[in-house]
Amino acid sequence: MLLLDYQNVLIQSLLTERFSGASPVSIDQVVSDFDGVTYHLSTPESKTKILISINVRCFKELVQYGAQDVLEREYGPYIVAPESGYDFSIQIDLESLPADQDAKDDLIRRTSLLKRNSMAAPFERAFDDFMQRQEEASKFTRESAPEGVREGGEVMAIHYRDEEAIYIKSSHDRVTVIFSTIFREETDRIFGKVFLQEFVDARRRAIQNAPQVLYRNEPPLELQGVRGLSDGSNGEVGYVTFVLFPRHLTPQRRQETISHIQTFRDYFHYHIKASKAYIHSRMRRRTADFLQVLNRARPENEEKERKTASGRTFRVQG
Amino acid sequence: MASQTPAIVMDNGTGFSKLGFAGNDAPSFVFPTAIATRGGVSGGGGGSGSGRPAIANKPSYLTGGSGSGGALAAKRGTEDLDFSIGDEALAASAGPGYGIHYPVRHGQVENWDHMERFWSNSIFKYLRVEPEDHYFLLTEPPLNPPENRENTAEIMFESFNCAGLYIAVQAVLALAASWTSAKVADRSLTGIVVDSGDGVTHVIPVAEGYVIGSSIKSIPIAGRDITYFVQSLLRDRGEADSSLKTAERVKEEYCYVCPDMVKEFARFDREPDRFLKHTVTAPNGRSVTVDVGYERFLAPEIFFNPEIYSSDFLTPLPTVVDGVIQQSPIDVRRGLYKNIVLSGGSTLYKDFGRRLQRDIRHLVDARLRASEARSGGAKSGGLDVQVVTHKRQRHGPWFGGSLLGQTPEFRSYCHTKAEYDEIGPSIVRRFALLGGPGST
Repeated sequence: MLLLDYQNVLIQSLLTERFSGASPVSIDQVVSDFDGVTYHLSTPESKTKILISINVRCFKELVQYGAQDVLEREYGPYIVAPESGYDFSIQIDLESLPADQDAKDDLIRRTSLLKRNSMAAPFERAFDDFMQRQEEASKFTRESAPEGVREGGEVMAIHYRDEEAIYIKSSHDRVTVIFSTIFREETDRIFGKVFLQEFVDARRRAIQNAPQVLYRNEPPLELQGVRGLSDGSNGEVGYVTFVLFPRHLTPQRRQETISHIQTFRDYFHYHIKASKAYIHSRMRRRTADFLQVLNRARPENEEKERKTASGRTFRVQG
Repeated sequence: MASQTPAIVMDNGTGFSKLGFAGNDAPSFVFPTAIATRGGVSGGGGGSGSGRPAIANKPSYLTGGSGSGGALAAKRGTEDLDFSIGDEALAASAGPGYGIHYPVRHGQVENWDHMERFWSNSIFKYLRVEPEDHYFLLTEPPLNPPENRENTAEIMFESFNCAGLYIAVQAVLALAASWTSAKVADRSLTGIVVDSGDGVTHVIPVAEGYVIGSSIKSIPIAGRDITYFVQSLLRDRGEADSSLKTAERVKEEYCYVCPDMVKEFARFDREPDRFLKHTVTAPNGRSVTVDVGYERFLAPEIFFNPEIYSSDFLTPLPTVVDGVIQQSPIDVRRGLYKNIVLSGGSTLYKDFGRRLQRDIRHLVDARLRASEARSGGAKSGGLDVQVVTHKRQRHGPWFGGSLLGQTPEFRSYCHTKAEYDEIGPSIVRRFALLGGPGST
């Protein structure tokens, strides 16, 4: 498994099972997803009505950036009033499902992408903003562009974890996505650095059309004037900057790009952990090899000093 | 942390792994504890012939620029991620190129490399959580060597940086799961667990949350044997379909425990509607009908009369349970008789608990009468025998873990990452008893 899935496997498998005509049963499960997202799957009224609620830490910010519109576009008729303690709810009635299989599969797919879709709003807004600016900027030459066009839009911040955030900024020729990352563990920080170096180098070496990646410990210039930033003087905080070029922002590519970039942090941490597991497995092999060598080196009949209970020893008289 | 993330409960058994979040009443995922890796069928361990995992190609800065090709570069050094677990592993191993491995044998982890990757995939792909944000509750079989615990802790804390860890004994969790039964008045952790899964049946006495290791008994009869027995009965009759799968379906759907074998035969002869028909639909659409007869009550009967199935193991389950209690310290025996808890898929037959309770009571009463007679006039106050059945038997240990993992004090019982860094792996040799006296 190289890439992480975007959808929640549990919701997917549960709905697939229910939609396939299995006899309805009552469900009541609270499950987690990455980044402190919590889902609540339940059947409060009757066994055929499945209520799926989601709780996202930064939902207020997301609404500010237009999450409601995106969610309404995706889930339109299924939206119900949010369950108390959760931010957003949809209800699916098993008795009024779409008739054909493709539509059903599509509904399953969309529902299992609930987290992805709720986090997608700021990205979509930034991409739209970029389109506008690009059009506007095409009217001017580089020098004559008025201040507003050159500068780019405001920075959108999503505090999706306690200490980490995503910042998105659009301008006329690119969209910049900045992740602030934090590492508590010394080892992880080093692993992280190696990985990020690979990201930075990838473009230079093989993959020419990859987005540009920058990694540094101080807040990048784009974030000037954003409050509440750690200066990263203790080395725990790092800033990863992705520069998305027009190539990544075409309407065809856009959804894919959003999915990819959202899972970046989890992908990153997953691979740090996977490489630790890999190194551990090599360490175990090496230990086993060394033990084998040691066992071979043991002399066959070792002459041991024999003692009586009182501590006297016998010596063979030569 | 503003809102507490639910603890993750993972019960990795020999056959199946149960994964989920504390507070739920069923595990979110149940799949085989199997991992399919590239190349190499299960044997000395994965990897190529050298017995070492395939070494990733040299790091990029050495081969960089030498034009190794984009496609190759993209795959560089990721062989160790080319694996799958659970049902996907079974599917993958059917195809070419993958070998299947079972990292857990007899309840204990055998291959830590595979287990580490199995956990990594269960956490990131199935549960989808960041282990740094969650506490973990893992299970272990009784008599698990402390070294295994340490290995587990090393993986959990060093690879995954999980926030906190608690390792509980499956039998104790099964006892905790029985608290949901209406029959249980006091939430004690004293009792005897009859745990019958697919491979083996264990009878485990637990006193105040501690397993009495010296009196544990295992019985080599469990779910798989019942399936084989049903299969042999179907074969003897010459049914149209007597595959293992059909036998398993028959076992799960129609079997029950009868009070008396001989009377049940007579009853079947009197009431012909007790004979049923089972329809098997083959993948190609053809369907075959199989008669279901005496095996309905005969199959689970091998627990109570093993001589009808096996020729080398002949002690009935009630006798084993009674013997285990008699071997335990005298001051806990009364508590053990009072709280006999069932756990595992092979204890789900209808009236299994009732039959077990009756048979044990017969044994106990006979012994009491004999000693009354020998003592010449002394009267016994009687002994209370109670077998507890409850709704969560199938995933008993997991459910017990979920129950204890959602209690507010659970986190204070865990060892945290900071404590682990301070003391080292040996810290997990001891855990305070979760759900024991003193906690609610």
